[in-house]
Amino acid sequence: MSVAVIRAQEVSSPIPVNAGIGLRFRHHQPVLDRRPTVAWFEVHTENYMGGGSAPQYLDAIRRDYPVSLHGVGLSLGGADGLDAAHLARVRGVVERVDPGLVSEHLSWSVAGGTYLADLLPLPMTEEALSVVCRHVDEVQACLRRRILLENPSTYLCFSHSTIPEWEFLAQVAQRTGCGILCDVNNIYVSACNHGWDAMTYLGALPPAAIGEIHLAGHSVRQLDHGQTLRIDDHGSRVAPEVWALYREALKRFGPVPTLIEWDTGVPPIEILIDEAALAEAALERQRHESTRAYAA
Amino acid sequence: MNPPAPTLRELQHAMRRSLLEGVNEEASAWIVADSLDADERLSIYHNTFAGVLRTALRLAFPAVHQLVGPDFFEGAAGLFVVQAPPRNAWLDEYGAEFPGFLERLPQAASVPYLADVARLEWQVNLVLHAPDTPPLDIGRLAALSNVAPAQLHFEPHPAVRLLRCEFPTDVIWRAVLERDDCAMAAVNLADGPVWLLVHRTQSGIEVKRLGKREWHFTAALFSGKSLFGALEDASCDDARTVLATHLARGCLADVSVVPSALAN
Repeated sequence: MSVAVIRAQEVSSPIPVNAGIGLRFRHHQPVLDRRPTVAWFEVHTENYMGGGSAPQYLDAIRRDYPVSLHGVGLSLGGADGLDAAHLARVRGVVERVDPGLVSEHLSWSVAGGTYLADLLPLPMTEEALSVVCRHVDEVQACLRRRILLENPSTYLCFSHSTIPEWEFLAQVAQRTGCGILCDVNNIYVSACNHGWDAMTYLGALPPAAIGEIHLAGHSVRQLDHGQTLRIDDHGSRVAPEVWALYREALKRFGPVPTLIEWDTGVPPIEILIDEAALAEAALERQRHESTRAYAA
Repeated sequence: MNPPAPTLRELQHAMRRSLLEGVNEEASAWIVADSLDADERLSIYHNTFAGVLRTALRLAFPAVHQLVGPDFFEGAAGLFVVQAPPRNAWLDEYGAEFPGFLERLPQAASVPYLADVARLEWQVNLVLHAPDTPPLDIGRLAALSNVAPAQLHFEPHPAVRLLRCEFPTDVIWRAVLERDDCAMAAVNLADGPVWLLVHRTQSGIEVKRLGKREWHFTAALFSGKSLFGALEDASCDDARTVLATHLARGCLADVSVVPSALAN
């Protein structure tokens, strides 16, 4: 499918350029009871694949809020090829929810018919680039819409990698027409873990391709010899350094729909609304900056 | 001279062996190790792999978790996830083999009803996530009142399951989940076996005890046999009432007329 066709899609309820919240099961009832002021919600596609109460809750919430779908299981970087049955399930959820955005990860998770339950790192090679592009093409053709691809947080690098991750991601976007979900926390975590320059990473991403930003908390593990490793556990508030990097991202990309994620020890929705308000304030500042720059 | 770089498939299968079998050598050879060695880097991914799947099992088997305690459960689940990892990312489907695994686990032998409780929880899990199919409209059956029972075939609703347990597992399951020590103390294992129907209703999951004949008749009907064939298989004095009850509870999804010569 050509990029032009993919971009011609229209969704009935697009994701607004505001701060949204990652919706988890414990939030279903509070959201329906209290209808909090939240610009949009994002859910994990794999949590809504069957029938029963979870998709029914989502149907009810979707009637009042824009929703985006964020998948974790397509294994776009898997050398064994896409799992057609899983892709069909994803399509089923997309058809049911009619989401404003659909996203997946620059990673792999299936090998030898086994789902390895993590977003595993790819070697940054020409072969991997070709595999990811082929699979993104297949997914976009199947779903008949553009998807966003998220940069991962990683804890290891492969010695035979030849392409910096930021160039790899930009290449996938250019070749397939997919958008980029820029996870600013992941950039920060990976940059700290591997000694990369986060600003170089941001600077290499094509602004026009950025369709969404993710923000989340991470933890810091002390290693021997006084070094640290940052773990992307989505279990706390967004770190100050990540907020600073987010503001830099907004300067480069302009205001972009931004999501607050929290997956470990999921708190009451009020905490997430607090975090989203901080992102919304940064978006608002950037809107003013952009308007001023335009007027000047 | 360095060995040739692995293909993507070779590298991913090496990572798979690391995560499932703890064999790190092949993957480690291609991992940059500086402040942290390759084994420690791989262990971060292994911990996520095992942690995510243990959590999926804990959510699908809450009564088993409660019965054996968190330490035993984590240990058993940790063994299970490397022996029988999932095949895809739809983790609501993961755990079908866990009851059988528990039944064969020597350390669990002192709790004879544990595997039965796990089987019941697995059926509950399947019913929870079964497709939202509309139940059979009673009007459709009324329109077929002149069709011979040998030609009537029923399709069960996907959110209905039948289960036979050796022990009074329904009572144990409820007592455990409700943390009702009195009910648990009153359980008499000799009260088994029990014949159960697990069903999704508007308000949640219902586990209903059926009579032995009623259960066998229902099982024959759900297996695709004609109404006449099911009655032949399992004579049931009040088959009409049983069928009406299933219909009223939305346990049936469809009915079809198959000429007897074609039915098997």
